[in-house]
Amino acid sequence: MTFHLLNIAIVVVLSLIGIGLYGLMIARNLIKVVVGLQIATKGAILAFVLAGRLASQVDVGQSLALTVIVADTIVAVVALALAVQVRQKFGTLNIEALKTLRR
Amino acid sequence: MVSNLILLVIGLPWIGALFVWWVGDHQPRWQHYLAIGFSVAAGIAALALLPLYSSQPGLILSVGGVFGDFSFVPDGLGVMLAAIATVIGSLAVIFSKDYMHGEAQLGRYYALVLFFIGSMAGLVLTSNLFLMFLFWEITALCSYALISFYNDDPKAVAGGIKALVITQLGGIGLLVAAVLAYSYLGSFDLSVLLKDANRLPANVLGILAFGSLIAAAAKSAQFPFQTWLPDAMEAPTPVSALIHAATMVNAGVYLLARLYPAFESVPFWRDAVMLVGVLSALMAALMALVATDLKRVLAYSTVSQLGYMVYAVGAGGVLASQFHLLSHAIFKALLFLGAGAVIHSVGTRDLRQMGGLKKQLPFVWLVFGVGALALAGLPVLNGFWSKELILEAGLNGGPQWMFGVMVFSAGLTALYTFRCVWLVFYGEPRSHLHAHDAGTAMKAALAPLAVGALLSWLLVGGLSEMLAVTLPYHEIHSLTIGEMALEIFTAPATWIALGVIALGLAAWWWRSRLQLFTEALQGVGRAAEQSFGFEAINRAVLALTAQAAEDLRGLQTGLLNWNILAIVTALAVVIALLALGA
Amino acid sequence: MEAKTALTLLLALPLIASPVIYILGRVEYRFLYRRIVAARWLCLLVLGVTWFPLLQLRVPVLEEGAVLWPIGRIVLQLDGLGFFLAVTVLGLATLVTIFSFQYVKGEPDEEKYYALLLAMTASMIGLGCTRDLFNLWVWFEAMAITSYLLVAFHHEQKSSLEAAVKYLVQSAVGSLLVLLGIALVFMLTSTLDLESIRPLMANSGAVGLAAGGLVIVGFGVKTAMVPMHTWLPDAHSQAPSGISAMLSGVVIECGLVAMLRALGGLAEASLAWGALLLFFAALNMLVGNLMALRQTEVKRMLAYSSVAQVGYMLFGFGVAISYGVSDGAAGGFFHLFNHAMMKGLAFLAAGALLYALHLSQGRHQPLVLDDLNGAARRYPITAFALSVALLGLGGLPPLAGFMSKWQIFVSGAEVRSTPLLWLVIFAGLNSVLSLGYYAPLVNRLYRREPSSVVLQGRPIAILMGVPLLLMSLGSVAVGVWPKLLSWVTYPAALALLRSFGFH
Repeated sequence: MTFHLLNIAIVVVLSLIGIGLYGLMIARNLIKVVVGLQIATKGAILAFVLAGRLASQVDVGQSLALTVIVADTIVAVVALALAVQVRQKFGTLNIEALKTLRR
Repeated sequence: MVSNLILLVIGLPWIGALFVWWVGDHQPRWQHYLAIGFSVAAGIAALALLPLYSSQPGLILSVGGVFGDFSFVPDGLGVMLAAIATVIGSLAVIFSKDYMHGEAQLGRYYALVLFFIGSMAGLVLTSNLFLMFLFWEITALCSYALISFYNDDPKAVAGGIKALVITQLGGIGLLVAAVLAYSYLGSFDLSVLLKDANRLPANVLGILAFGSLIAAAAKSAQFPFQTWLPDAMEAPTPVSALIHAATMVNAGVYLLARLYPAFESVPFWRDAVMLVGVLSALMAALMALVATDLKRVLAYSTVSQLGYMVYAVGAGGVLASQFHLLSHAIFKALLFLGAGAVIHSVGTRDLRQMGGLKKQLPFVWLVFGVGALALAGLPVLNGFWSKELILEAGLNGGPQWMFGVMVFSAGLTALYTFRCVWLVFYGEPRSHLHAHDAGTAMKAALAPLAVGALLSWLLVGGLSEMLAVTLPYHEIHSLTIGEMALEIFTAPATWIALGVIALGLAAWWWRSRLQLFTEALQGVGRAAEQSFGFEAINRAVLALTAQAAEDLRGLQTGLLNWNILAIVTALAVVIALLALGA
Repeated sequence: MEAKTALTLLLALPLIASPVIYILGRVEYRFLYRRIVAARWLCLLVLGVTWFPLLQLRVPVLEEGAVLWPIGRIVLQLDGLGFFLAVTVLGLATLVTIFSFQYVKGEPDEEKYYALLLAMTASMIGLGCTRDLFNLWVWFEAMAITSYLLVAFHHEQKSSLEAAVKYLVQSAVGSLLVLLGIALVFMLTSTLDLESIRPLMANSGAVGLAAGGLVIVGFGVKTAMVPMHTWLPDAHSQAPSGISAMLSGVVIECGLVAMLRALGGLAEASLAWGALLLFFAALNMLVGNLMALRQTEVKRMLAYSSVAQVGYMLFGFGVAISYGVSDGAAGGFFHLFNHAMMKGLAFLAAGALLYALHLSQGRHQPLVLDDLNGAARRYPITAFALSVALLGLGGLPPLAGFMSKWQIFVSGAEVRSTPLLWLVIFAGLNSVLSLGYYAPLVNRLYRREPSSVVLQGRPIAILMGVPLLLMSLGSVAVGVWPKLLSWVTYPAALALLRSFGFH
């Protein structure tokens, strides 16, 4: 039973990360990019919980996950703040517009 | 005593550089006098070091580790070259007082020249391969900065960067040789390398030998790196005299001569060295024959003469090569400074616009003439003796055909020298140039060099004694003047060479009668004007690199998705590499 | 002072001072007619005071190996490597603070600049002082977040905003990959202490390899290893110049140090880590130099040159951790320090010129090569400093860069392997290539005809010139006497090798 659950957890972790990274690679809307980042990070958080379980140190795993959540929230806040500014200055959230720095 | 003198020879010019820089460009008089004072003091220190030659380290600064100990040995080779660097350096600085009069940014000029003089002395006095590489690169830095002294002129900038890049490319050879030597011998000390060279594995010694040859060829503007020297002529003329004729370009020959005993037995090395020398001597002489820029003629001639020295080292004539180095440093510095006086007074470098200047510049004509005769190798000037010694060493130590080419090049040398002198000083004036004779400081710099070109061959006894005593691995025998004269006048090589030189002079004299001959040679002339295709290779490499750089920039699209894709791809590649490796 | 107290102070002083400076700045802004004076002096004061505990720690760290400070499960440990990093970071941060007095004066949110700068400095010092894998990530993330905010400092500028967005997203992806790697390691070993992890990873198989790959690529984003470097030219060129100096001088190197620390724990999992670093070294040198070759914007060119310079450090460290050559690690650290000094100098000098030529006149536009024509006539010291920095980066003596590159090359030869000898030659060729963009810039500075921008430029404040002079002097001093730094680089090298299990 547990083995089965763990398998599901592993699949969920991998697919969250996969979906997140895929989203980062195709999304053209800055908010969607941030969402992609969040999805992938959620996969990493889940991975810590899972790792804590597998290492039979559930408490450590969960406290690590909590720390990541805190850091991740800050990053998300900063990212969204930047997105607001981008909307104001560029008039769009499309990252195609953010191509002035290149070559 | 010795350690203090070594410190003075290297340190005085460096301190002088700081002072000149400090004084600032608003006090040019002070800059002139400070520069002269410090360089002359360094010259005196170097001359005082001359009789104190020894094969023992004179100064050791303990550093250790991957840098080795900073050690300096005042052996014969070192003190002689240090004296050349500082004495000719101080003459070039004295000459600059007139030549650079009224120029802007004098502080930068003198600071770099003085910095160069000290570094050149360091390069030849150190016995640590790392330090040698360090000074090697400092001289390249000074050379670059001085070639592009006139930064507003794109040709000067391009020439400076070209010189820097090509000498650095070659420098990698020395770098590899030095780090490899350290990894096998655990020391950067030259004497350890000379002593234990036979303990190194054959392939390692081979890399060392050919790496040094590449470095030397690039520094001394030898085949196939010769292209930077003519373009370096954008530098102020005293710099050309000092760095690109009398001192820095000798560093390559010095390196080969210094390490000759270690590499002597490496298969094909001696042949390669001789071949480099022969090709350079011949090609550059041909190019000098068709060049129309006074300084470029002298630059090609420098390449050609350095070719003689390299050839001599390859043939085993270390003494001959160093003797010619001394002669060449004197007469070529004389020629360049003389050319500088001409250029300064007429305001152009184009030979086609000169002519008939003998009347207007009698003093310059006289000293330039002395230098030219020495370059052509006419007795009894210093160039004659040393060139004959080289040819004799070549006949003894190298293949016959190479000797033949070198003798032919000696004829060409006489021919292009005579052509150059003729175009500048004789014939009808080809344009209305207003010329005035050299100033006092110029004369003060030219006169000792002219005397040197007449008499420096008398020093052969002392020089050979110095080298014989202090270079235990080189097997040099001391040679008195009498012995040298006897040796040279009884050698058939001398008479052949003199004959060919006379032919060269005759060829110029009767050039109108030799119409057929010159027409036949026009193809060679055209090829020589294109520098035998080497410029084209340089340009192609440059264009290719620029194109690659430009194309690569396309990959930085600036699109965020693309950047993330790059990260994910890198992850996939790294994991795949690790999986394959495991 | 006891070692543990000193370590506490070293970490706590800047961390606590950071919010204090922010509050002080806000108060000043309110009551002092929108001027901020005390906050910036407090920032400098705190950085100055932080030197005392650091120097107190010199003897215990360098002579006794490491100072340990267990807090619960986490062990803070200041070894030679941490000490070296703290010296480098603190040194550069102090000079950057002095430089910034003039540079960000009167900018909106000036107080945030100093508060964040201090916080970033603290997190970088902390990054060097930890033995716990997860704690390493926490410091790393703290450094990353503060640096996002600093890159976006000119957030009213479109380009700064764009750079910050790209930097944030890519850095966050890197951070995410690192987290996954850490989770894998934790799953296998049930511990996060790097010293305990190393033996446990001996037979970790594919999972260990995956963890290593994730750590290398994840930290590699911050280290700007090609092809994860794409954020770097944008962020470095758009940040305020002091921050560009910090980013280029220490932040990307902190990514490298974090990677080496983490790989130290994984040393037993594979023998390929060093080879992988050498592979990236070659890639970084080539791509960085080629990309820099045709740039027309000064700060962007310097940014690409950082990519190339990281390659040299990777070379040294790669040799060190593959073969246990201490000269390689010491060379890597030597180059790290020199790069912080020289690239910091280059960015600060370019920043001073940018400030004098554009910013002080209210123009937010990049400094392009043509602007610098003839700058030496009006700004002799700044131009000289920039030339020293550029020629040093190009590896010309007697400047610092020559010495550290030399040490790295020697270490490459010491292994006596043919591929490494080729890599030495390749690195040498790359140094020559890099002169292709450094040298023309120096030539421009010394032209006689100044550009129109230079003619209209404002004078550079003396306080701005002080860090430039100090760093130029430092570059020359190290270039003349290379042993000047071996008292910190060799202990750092030994600590690194020890963390990889070499003795």
